[in-house]
Parts: sequence; C-alpha cells; structure tokens
Amino acid sequence: MDYKYIEQLLERYFQCESTLKEEEILRSFFSQEDVPVWLMKYQTLFTYEAEKEQLLGDDFDERILEMIEQSEPVKARVLTLTQRLKPLLKAAAVVAVLLTLGNAAQAPWDRGWDNPQEEYAKYHQQETDSINMVGPVQAENLMGDSISSVVAPEAPKY
Amino acid sequence: MKKVSFRNDVLPLKNKLYRLALRITLTPEDAEDVVQETMMKVWNRRNQWDQIESMEAFCLTICRNLALDKTRKMAGSEQSLDANELETPDHSHSANPEEQVIQQDRLRLVRDIIDSLPEKQRSVMQLRDFEGKSYKEIAAIMEISEEQVKVNIFRARQTVKQRFLESEGYGI
Repeated sequence: MDYKYIEQLLERYFQCESTLKEEEILRSFFSQEDVPVWLMKYQTLFTYEAEKEQLLGDDFDERILEMIEQSEPVKARVLTLTQRLKPLLKAAAVVAVLLTLGNAAQAPWDRGWDNPQEEYAKYHQQETDSINMVGPVQAENLMGDSISSVVAPEAPKY
Repeated sequence: MKKVSFRNDVLPLKNKLYRLALRITLTPEDAEDVVQETMMKVWNRRNQWDQIESMEAFCLTICRNLALDKTRKMAGSEQSLDANELETPDHSHSANPEEQVIQQDRLRLVRDIIDSLPEKQRSVMQLRDFEGKSYKEIAAIMEISEEQVKVNIFRARQTVKQRFLESEGYGI
C-alpha cells in the first residue's frame, strides 16, 4: 500500500500547512492497527488527544447554578392595593378619552335636534368651509352637493 | 437572533474550558476554580450576550485570561509560564514487556513535553489539536494575529516532535 499521501500530510502537518480535515485523516490513520513500522514513531503524537479524560462532573453544574441563584435573590414584591389598581385606572382613563373624542366626532350635542336634516347640513357645511382650502366656486359647488345629497341621517350613536 | 441560554449554551462548555484552563495552569484544582470564575463572569455579563457572535470564543477568551492571571499570581512557585527544563523520564524500567505500560509512558511523555512549552504555544496546541479550532478562531480567542497563531503552532509541533523522538531514542 502506498503511504505517500500520509507522508505528504505529515510534511504539511509539521509545516502547519495542513487543514483540520487533513489533520483528522492523520489521526484516523494513526489510530488504526496497521501502522507501518517506519511511521510508528509518530503514532503517539496523533493519538494522545484521544485521551480526553479531563472532565468536570455533573455536581459542577449544580454548584454553578446554585452560585448564580445566590447572587440574584428573587425579591417578591408586595403589591399594594394602589399599585394593583393603577393599571386599571390607566385603562379607564384611556377609554374615557376615546369615548369623549368619539362623541365629539359624532355630533354636536349642544345643538338641538328639532330639525336633524337642517342641522346636519349646517354642520356639514361648517366642516367643509373650515377644512377645505378650495376656491369659492368649488366651495359653492361642494355646498350644493352636500345639501342635495343629504338623505335621512342615521340616528346619532352615543 | 438566537436567544442565549446559560443552561444550554454556557454550561455545556465546561469541559472545553476545563481542558484549556488545565493546559495553562497545569493544576486540576486551579483549573476548576478558573472554570467556575469564568462561568460567573460570563453570567454577570449577560446583558452583552445578544451582541456576541460566538459564545464559545467569548467564554474561551475569558477562561484563558483568568487562567493566565491565576498562573501569574502563583509565580514564584514551581510552575512558570515559560519553558521549564524537561526532566527526561527514566525509561530504563520500560524493559517491561507490557505494551500498555509503554504506551502509557509515551502518552505521559507527550503531555509532559506540551506542558513544558511556553503558555502561548501550549494554548494554541490545545485549541488546535484538541478542540479542532481554525487558525482564525484561535486568533480571536487568544487575541493575537493569525500569523502569530501559525508561528506558535509551528514552534510547538516542532518542539514536541523533536523532544519526543529524541526521548524515544529515535534521533532525528
């Protein structure tokens, strides 16, 4: 059998040109039974790492985890009643604001509802006038549109 | 980004860290202390975990630095960081035909030679030949250049080969 390849790898190994894969090949080669006589002298150099006897036991894990827990005492916070209610109060406040805004957007509640159609038209016109930056001609057209397109308005939702 | 867990990502490294620490401190008790200190240090830096690319390299770097610190503190006692005078083991008793004993002798010889190398050479050998790290990874862990990694591995391998073969009576 031709051991030229192994001898090449050996050369590369001692020149530190070998890859991890090539080094793995050398280790496999030297861990087998039939190592040729003239290569035997190198055998130990490639098999000594296999003896990975240095180990830490499981009790080590336990100790470390214990040490960590000791350094971080979990403080059980006693929540006072006020602290418990705060989130609820916040939520209530948000809901109140939303309702207020919702109502304001719905309808002007300070106006009368005797003539809903007229009131609605007036309101709509107001909105149009204030919001739009269109020219007077277009605004008139819009006004005309809004009045004529008013149908029976929906009941205001409170 | 994968969430790093101490239990699953850090603790399992303990033996790898131990082997490196042992290679540097040469004392099992010190090595175990170093691994413990390393784990605590890593735990205390958990707010940085998200930014770390390789948890293993991070831990190995801390481990090595702590091991070096420990060894320096011990300076003045027998163990030094630099090459020691290697006591050539007495091989006269290995006229014992038991192949196993001879093999054990050889293994111990190699380990002794490695342990007597300067720390940098020892560490690169450990990381390359034991832990199978690439030159790039080793450079990152030891905070040296890849070129320096190669130089140290070269010197280490040459020294080990030379001393081992001489000791075994092979000559070069």
